[in-house]
Amino acid sequence: MTIRLPTLVRTTTFKLALLHSILFTVFVLGLLVYLYASTVVYVRAEASDSLDAELTELSRAYSQGGLVRLNRSVRERQSVLGSRQFLYLLQDAQGQKIGGGLSTLPPGIPLDGRQKYLFDVDYRRPDGEIVSRPAEGRAVVLADGGIILVAYDVGEFQRIVPRITRVVWTAAPIGLLMSLIGGIVISRSAARRADTLAKTAEGVMAGDLSRRVPVIGSGDEFDRLGEQLNAMLGRIETLMESSRHVGDSIAHDLRSPLTRLRNRLETALAEPMSREMAEDTLGRTLGEVDNVLATFNAILRLSRLEAGQGGPMTRTNISGLAGQLAELFEPACEEAGIEFTANIARSLTVLGEKDLIAQAVSNLLDNAVKYTPEGGKISFKAARERDSKIILEVTDTGPGIPAEERKRVVKRFVRLEASRSEPGSGLGLALVEAVASVHNGQLRLEDGKKRNDGRGLRARLVLPKA
Amino acid sequence: MNILIIEDDEDMASFVSKVLTEAGHVVDTTHRGDMGLTLARAGDFDALVVDRMLPEKDGLTLVREYREGGGGSPALFLSALGEVDHRVEGLKAGGDDYLAKPFAPSELVARVEALGRRQISEAPITSLKAGELEMDLLARKVTRNGHKIDLQPREFRLLEYLMRHAGQVVTRTMLLEKVWDYHFDPQTNVIDVHISRLRGKIDKDFDEALLHTVRGAGYRLQA
Repeated sequence: MTIRLPTLVRTTTFKLALLHSILFTVFVLGLLVYLYASTVVYVRAEASDSLDAELTELSRAYSQGGLVRLNRSVRERQSVLGSRQFLYLLQDAQGQKIGGGLSTLPPGIPLDGRQKYLFDVDYRRPDGEIVSRPAEGRAVVLADGGIILVAYDVGEFQRIVPRITRVVWTAAPIGLLMSLIGGIVISRSAARRADTLAKTAEGVMAGDLSRRVPVIGSGDEFDRLGEQLNAMLGRIETLMESSRHVGDSIAHDLRSPLTRLRNRLETALAEPMSREMAEDTLGRTLGEVDNVLATFNAILRLSRLEAGQGGPMTRTNISGLAGQLAELFEPACEEAGIEFTANIARSLTVLGEKDLIAQAVSNLLDNAVKYTPEGGKISFKAARERDSKIILEVTDTGPGIPAEERKRVVKRFVRLEASRSEPGSGLGLALVEAVASVHNGQLRLEDGKKRNDGRGLRARLVLPKA
Repeated sequence: MNILIIEDDEDMASFVSKVLTEAGHVVDTTHRGDMGLTLARAGDFDALVVDRMLPEKDGLTLVREYREGGGGSPALFLSALGEVDHRVEGLKAGGDDYLAKPFAPSELVARVEALGRRQISEAPITSLKAGELEMDLLARKVTRNGHKIDLQPREFRLLEYLMRHAGQVVTRTMLLEKVWDYHFDPQTNVIDVHISRLRGKIDKDFDEALLHTVRGAGYRLQA
């Protein structure tokens, strides 16, 4: 898709790219100014120093041997240095040129020997062409009225300034343009990825909860953001599913008892009945209402759990909790003619919600007591497992659960045919499973102790150690 | 007992009022939170029964402000929100007990009466007495008519709770909450079995039974 320019200009990446290119340009300009200052100025200062030294040398030659010696010195220097570095002019008191490469004294040059003077010289190149070059020099009046002028060519320095200026004026816009183009490219790709996020969000809002942000795998900020968003969407999908599930559950398991209730009340209303009959009907109706309420509470609790709204997680002493539960259930087992043994290891702790774990284990013990026949055996164990796990295990000698049914029985309202006649809502194991998953644990169902025709059941709640 | 009911649902309020009146208590009723707070501060009630969701001032705020103002009457929250964290919120706000709707009338009466009793026995006590039963809380010894009775630690706590509420009906849920600290109902009749074991120890060798089962409600230890 194409991005219109105004959108592009508003993006953060574009603004950053623009800021960056401006800073870049300022930096380059600064660098050039520094370069100019440290080369041109330095070289000029050095040239000026050697000019002073040259004049001092020549003055000494003059004082030693007069004009003749001076002229010889000049000639020597010109030949040695090839007249490249310095230009000379020596003339007598009458203004006649005696020696040096320059033809005439530039007009207006101060003769005090202290001030430097800028002038043009006609310079004959080896090929015979005469070029005019800027030069800077100093002239000194000799004792006999003659004049010595020493100068150097400043054309190079003066040409550097406009060249640098030209470089700046061409390089800066090119740099600016390049970084702008770079910025736009980066900005466009970022904007495109942000746009993908927005598109996904739009899709989700339109009701397609299975939409996910594509993750490239580069591990950059957009990928991380995408992963977080996907995780969030996954969570939302689970919650939505869970709340739809509650709806289904209510329809499934509350509608039928409510219908039965309604029918019973309607019949009671239509029929004339004795006080005794009425009491009986009302008593049974009340029992039914209590069952509906219990189921309703269990559904609510389960949904809160599945939505991740358990209580606060704290360090929970599992040994103490298991001991208390063993003590709570032991008399009931004895009364039912079941042998109960508890084997609880010391100092077991998990990070969890005490009441939830207690209820989960209590559900397992409830099931065991309910399904184990008289003369059977229930063993309750709390122990540490090798890989930093803690297990709470209830093993019975009841009918057990066939292997192919084990995945199904932990779902809501699933009850095995054989147990339909027993009281219960079909939510017990679903709650244990939910408690396990809230604690990042597991519920494992296995064969228990074989006895007579029952295969027995071993229900294991596995929780990570605190 | 003199009880103030603060409940906005009029059917519920009159049901609660009827239940408590039939149990022999004097009841005042109001439907608004702010009115409730004024009445609670002005009158000398033995217990307050407060709904959580009220117009003008919700139940949690009401009890918190009542406590901040120095009000000392025990308060029982009635609420449709019955999860453990709701209960904790209620107790943190200064409530003394918490009962989730819907509830059995006997459960409400038992809990309200338990509150009133707690108010009276505020001072630290070292021994309890109920009829022929005597309990030494320091030496952890129980005697009936001078005969020593050996109890397991849990049986001791169970009997202690029953003795503190001697003469009152105590429900299974109350025992699970107060003696075992569980806020769920095991389906197995675990409490009944514990009670019958305790009964075996305190009543077995005596003619008169002290620990009675109240049908459809719970248990009562004869005072």
